Amino acid sequence: MIGTACHGRPDPTNTCPPEKFKAMQLRNSAITLAAALALALPLSILAGEADLTVVAPYVRMVPPGTPNSAAFMTIANNGTSDRRLVKADSPVARAVELHSHTNEQGLMRMRQVSAIEVKAKSRTELKSGGYHVMLIDLQQSLMEGDTVPLTLTFDDGSIRKVDAPVRKPQAVLEAEQASAHGRH
Amino acid sequence: MPTRTLLMALIAALSAILILLAVFWEPLPPRPIARIAPHERLPAATAPPAGGEFTLQGAQGNVRLSDFRGKVVLIYFGYTYCPDVCPTSLSLLAQALSELAPDERERVQGIFISVDPERDTAARLQEYTPFFHPQIVGLSGTSAQIARVAEQYGSRYHKQTPDAEGRYAVDHSSATYVVDPQGRLSGALPHASTPAQIIAAVREQLASVASR
Repeated sequence: MIGTACHGRPDPTNTCPPEKFKAMQLRNSAITLAAALALALPLSILAGEADLTVVAPYVRMVPPGTPNSAAFMTIANNGTSDRRLVKADSPVARAVELHSHTNEQGLMRMRQVSAIEVKAKSRTELKSGGYHVMLIDLQQSLMEGDTVPLTLTFDDGSIRKVDAPVRKPQAVLEAEQASAHGRH
Repeated sequence: MPTRTLLMALIAALSAILILLAVFWEPLPPRPIARIAPHERLPAATAPPAGGEFTLQGAQGNVRLSDFRGKVVLIYFGYTYCPDVCPTSLSLLAQALSELAPDERERVQGIFISVDPERDTAARLQEYTPFFHPQIVGLSGTSAQIARVAEQYGSRYHKQTPDAEGRYAVDHSSATYVVDPQGRLSGALPHASTPAQIIAAVREQLASVASR
């Protein structure tokens, strides 16, 4: 349509010959198809996102000048297929990795993992001593009250963006103790 | 019939071989059981750690364990690049210190010993530990000094291979060692001990002093 005088109909003045009109019709249907696809694609991603919920994310506040910290959260999967968290990104750190811990007879070993599984109709906790999103080489000091944008990518291509508040470790502890007391 | 006899003999011979194999054939040589050392001869590493005096570097110079005689001392080995385990343990320790009564708290000292002295200087530790609680002092030293103190207390650590950018983690024990007011190692609290458990251990030591 760009740079042509053809405006919709075959024109006897020959500014729009029938072959050109046909080509335009084809192009129009291609555009329609592309538009439909473009609409459908985010819809399918949205469907994936609706199944995945990130609950109570937070980043642990660390002493000033400390290069690394970690983000914790619970990921709930209400869908019918297993999902895997495969990547996390954040502008506050130079590198972001998924990590797990193992306690081997008292020796705490931290290792990078390629993915964190969230089974269908289940939830996976990223919590202290287990899985965490490690924020490496913090680009700025994280203070209480700040929020850290996190982008989580799953194996089906769906993406969840969350803003994780920075919390003092003792505030987290107290909240955990309070909720533990609440359950008694 | 010679053929029949021959066949019978062959069958008998083959059966005999089969039975012999079934009974005596061992695909692997028997394990030399006699070579396993008796229990008494196991290396002394299984003996309980002795604890005891040490001298390391604080931000204001040498710090000795005996500087805290009369106090219950809680010792934790970790490093400041540690993203999760150390902040968690120090927070639990800090919470315990905060929950103690002021007169009890005066008689308790926390010590954080770096197992990563390459990166953790005494000055860096002085920025790090007070964030958790002002009564936790951070100590560093030479690699040899740290290794000796860790061995004394039964703490293990293992530096991992650095990545392309030189970053590395250190695997380490995450116990909190409890030293009585006489400077003797009285026990170790396992990883993730709650503030209540830490407080109980502290009070037990304080009570044993009071009852004397």
